[in-house]
Amino acid sequence: MKHIAIVEDETAIRENYIDVLKKHGYNVHGYADRQQAQAAFDVKLPDLAIIDIGLGHEIDGGFALCQSLRALSPTLPIIFLTARDSDFDTVCGLRMGADDYLTKDISLPHLMARIAALFRRSELLASPTTEDTLLYREELTIDQNKMQIFWRSEPVDLTVTEFWMVYALAKRPGHVRSRQDLMDDARVVVDDSTITSHVKRIRKKFMQCDPSFDQIHTVYGMGYRWGA
Amino acid sequence: MGSLITRLTAGLRLKIIIITSLLLTLPWFGYRFVLEMEKLLRQGQEQTLIGTARAIATALNERPALFSQQANFLPRVQQGRDLYVYDLPAAIQVDGHLDDWPSDMGAKMHYYGHPYVLFSQQVYPKGYTDFYLITARHQQEIYAALKVNDPHLVLRRTGSNRVDRNDHLTLALTTPEGKFERYLIALEASGLTSVWLISDNPDTQESFLPVTNVTASWQPSDTGYTLEIALPADLLGQQMAVAIHNVDHATKRDVESIIATANTKSADTLGPVLLPSPDIEQIVKGMGHSSSRIWVLDRHQRVLAQSGDIQHSNGVWATSIRYDEEEHGLGSWLEQYLLRPLYYTFLLSDPVPFDDQPANPAMIQGVHVDQALHGRGYAHWRPSSDGKAMILSAAYPIWLNDTVMGAVVVEESTQGVQTLKNRALEKLFNVLLAIILIAAIILFLFASSLSSRIRRLRDQAEQSIDAQGRIRDAIVSSSSRDEIGDLSRSLANMVSRLGQYNHYLENLSSRLSHELRTPVAVVRSSLDNLAMSQQHGEDEKRYIDRAQDGIRRLGTILSSMTEATRIEQSLQGADMERFAFNELVSGCMQGYQLAFRQHQFRVQIPESPVFIEGAPDFLAQLLDKLIANATEFSPVGPPIEVTLSQKNHLAVLTVSNQGPLLPQDMTDQLLHSMVSVRSQQHQAKPHLGLGLFIARLIAEYHAGQIAIRNRTDGQGVIVTITLPLSESAAKLS
Repeated sequence: MKHIAIVEDETAIRENYIDVLKKHGYNVHGYADRQQAQAAFDVKLPDLAIIDIGLGHEIDGGFALCQSLRALSPTLPIIFLTARDSDFDTVCGLRMGADDYLTKDISLPHLMARIAALFRRSELLASPTTEDTLLYREELTIDQNKMQIFWRSEPVDLTVTEFWMVYALAKRPGHVRSRQDLMDDARVVVDDSTITSHVKRIRKKFMQCDPSFDQIHTVYGMGYRWGA
Repeated sequence: MGSLITRLTAGLRLKIIIITSLLLTLPWFGYRFVLEMEKLLRQGQEQTLIGTARAIATALNERPALFSQQANFLPRVQQGRDLYVYDLPAAIQVDGHLDDWPSDMGAKMHYYGHPYVLFSQQVYPKGYTDFYLITARHQQEIYAALKVNDPHLVLRRTGSNRVDRNDHLTLALTTPEGKFERYLIALEASGLTSVWLISDNPDTQESFLPVTNVTASWQPSDTGYTLEIALPADLLGQQMAVAIHNVDHATKRDVESIIATANTKSADTLGPVLLPSPDIEQIVKGMGHSSSRIWVLDRHQRVLAQSGDIQHSNGVWATSIRYDEEEHGLGSWLEQYLLRPLYYTFLLSDPVPFDDQPANPAMIQGVHVDQALHGRGYAHWRPSSDGKAMILSAAYPIWLNDTVMGAVVVEESTQGVQTLKNRALEKLFNVLLAIILIAAIILFLFASSLSSRIRRLRDQAEQSIDAQGRIRDAIVSSSSRDEIGDLSRSLANMVSRLGQYNHYLENLSSRLSHELRTPVAVVRSSLDNLAMSQQHGEDEKRYIDRAQDGIRRLGTILSSMTEATRIEQSLQGADMERFAFNELVSGCMQGYQLAFRQHQFRVQIPESPVFIEGAPDFLAQLLDKLIANATEFSPVGPPIEVTLSQKNHLAVLTVSNQGPLLPQDMTDQLLHSMVSVRSQQHQAKPHLGLGLFIARLIAEYHAGQIAIRNRTDGQGVIVTITLPLSESAAKLS
């Protein structure tokens, strides 16, 4: 049974999450503040951690917790689930090594899907890749099972949200996906400019592998498309 | 230039200049003051002059010997009959030529005409024979000069015994001892004539005795002859008369007429002769260095002695201060060549050379003399004889045993005071000019700095808040400690507080959404939990669905509430690039034509590239907002017009749609966050009135402007966006 830790200072939300996760067959532990969580993690690491950024009186307690967790394990999947949705916080959270950054207006089914996807990815990372789950788009390769993306055979380190967006774009190259489409595909409720900044970040990640990367096109007034 | 003039006319500087011009009244006050001072000086001069007169009079008091007795006790003086002996500066050559007499002798000569005729054989015709006479003295000689008008000269025949059968003169006098003596001077062929003492003793045969102590010489002239007589002063007592005996017929040789200063028949009829007293002269001469003109008069106002010259008699005033020392340097150069000529052209008058001759040099008249002869010292101002200067005359009586024996008259011109006044005014004007100049410059600079500071503050205040009421620049508070500094600090304070409040308001939505997100999450997770549990009836499921739908809408609202803030944040990290704006717009418009199929678009975009510097993503987002807005309000049917044009370094984008008009006072407010004029029918989706606010943020980030107005045809609304062109493109175009 997968062990999930939820660090959330708002009791109602924490309990709700614990309830729903337990219903889905996970072993869930909730912690109200960083000290409790830290103490528990020192004893035993969970299989996945869902962390709020603001913890009690510690405004950035979640970030600190994420850092110490990442120090303990480089592979442990970490999700930020927070009310803070500024670009700055998103970038911070992802830079600290979180696998996803979600805002609290995500619905529970979406959250469950994310968690399942993350587990699947970490499980399948070890397993051999079967050919039929691979999607080839010229120099781009998408492993749907492992939720991994390769550009010229090099892995591109994308978050789950970003993976879904690239997947949605690359599934039908040349087709324009509007921002709303991308939001639905990534299962997030955000505003247009958040999508814009996500796309920017994705482009940057690709450009780290290949500075001449130019596959995600902005179609002004409509959205984005993959390839020509 | 025009703006400078208007700024000057309406500004603080002009007002201060006007106030400063009050300083110009200072010279007037100074002038009044100097005039008062001049009055005082004149009074002082009067007093000094009376003092001088008194001092001289005191020296002459109680000295009977100084005054000729007889003349002084005459009841009155008869002009002509009473002879006045002038003082001569030099001895006279007795040769009949009058050219060695002083030049003013013409004025001093007395005319003897008709009233002085003693005897005439016929009715005396006017101008028949008359003469001019002057008597004078130099040291111990007394001279007389005559100009006789006599058309028929009858000379003494050479060798003739008779001396009176020709044109001749008789000179009658009393000696100092009181003896009556008469001399006869006959015209002879030569210039030098013989002088005879007329013996009145009938016993003696010889009635004419030649004398040598009296000499006479004559010369013929155009109208008659001129004659000079010299006699020793000790021969003359206090009376004298001269008579001309005219003989016209060379053969008959009878005396036709006698014209005389007084009857020469006896001592009683002679006229008194006034000899200026050498003693008085001596005393006065001692006083004569007081740089005043001094007269000593007898009771009959006749001059006994005179000293000094009115030309140099400006009192001690001018000599007491040395002004004429030359100074060197710019200041004195300015004063000498610029200021002084200016003053003397417009303000001051230099003392002019003047001439003052008494009407009768032998007799001084005037109120002051009358007053002095009545025993009172008196001073008065009178114009000089040519009217060019004022002369101060002071007179003081000379006493002898309670009787006024004469008067001392002292005269000075006012030139000294006038010079003094002029110098004072010059100095005053110089100083005042300097003061006014300096004060004006200082005040002008002060006013300029004040007005420029106030103007700067005004500009800052105007620039600190834009048309939408947002804080653009903080006011730099001034560090000066005066009121304007205070005002600047208050304004800076005010603007910064306003800025903080604005900031608070602008962040309100994002903070509110942040705060609301947690309770929404609570509700949402609870609802989701509820929905996931299977044991629900149909009704419960429906309610849960509705609640979930509501919470989803709430989530959308919350995320769009933070959109503006997010845009601001991400704009700060946006990369600017140079790109063709027209391509972006046309690309977008193609998308919109697909996205909003029920609407028509009429697009006008130039073919040639319109380059601007900016973030294309955001500009596309801006266009999204505008088009979304337009489609929402535009009725289906009439097209939405989008134009892009280029005007003087600016790209102008307009989006115009038909539809409901804006309330007049709302136009600018619409660009604020959370302001919306949507009616209920447009409220299908949650809307927070952020579209135009975000558009404004993006436009302003690109240093552009956005304006929303009702169309001039009154059919709808037009949004205008102006963006500066990229600099290189602006240069090319």
